[in-house]
Amino acid sequence: MSVTIRIIDGALGDPASVLLPSVQFGAAIVFDGVVRSDEGGRTIRALNYEVYEPMASNMLTELGREMLAKHGLVSIMVEHSRGEVPVGQRSFRLTVHALHRAEALAAVGEFIDRMKREVPIWKTALDANPPGSA
Amino acid sequence: MVFRVLIFGSLARELSCASIAVDVPDNASVRDVNEALAARYPHKSTFFRGARLAVNHAFQPTGVPLRAGDEIAVVELVGGG
Repeated sequence: MSVTIRIIDGALGDPASVLLPSVQFGAAIVFDGVVRSDEGGRTIRALNYEVYEPMASNMLTELGREMLAKHGLVSIMVEHSRGEVPVGQRSFRLTVHALHRAEALAAVGEFIDRMKREVPIWKTALDANPPGSA
Repeated sequence: MVFRVLIFGSLARELSCASIAVDVPDNASVRDVNEALAARYPHKSTFFRGARLAVNHAFQPTGVPLRAGDEIAVVELVGGG
């Protein structure tokens, strides 16, 4: 069982293959969070993420360990952007390996909900047309 | 003791700064920093009295005494991902 945390400057790249050769797991889920063009009714060009380190990584690691134990996962990997991520680009990726589908799906939902409530990461919407730019 | 309390996100934008200096007694606790922040910004006193403060990157009970050099941050309004 393992927990991997990566804080990455800017947008995330394409996901690596999750189909690692293993007889341990029957479920592999990759969830990608993508920056939308609409944020609270405003058209934006990007989101800027502030990550308070090392507290954020410490809390993500602890949350990952909790998910491993609670849901019986094989592994969990968290990648989160820091800094500016343009609309349409990935800013968050959660990769979960588990023995079965049900626990993998449950872990993904619970992890993301808890992360948004508890982990010190703040996002700021950057307007596509800020005041005074016309 | 003087601490520079780190702030982030919308709070930092609202107050137009990244940290707030507070002067508290030598035997001050986390709660004293909450009160000092509330006194510094009366219009946000309710917020600061209830704000979660991290000390050296971990949440601590409000009665925990502080030491010179501790890193204190307001960790509220979290919403990443």
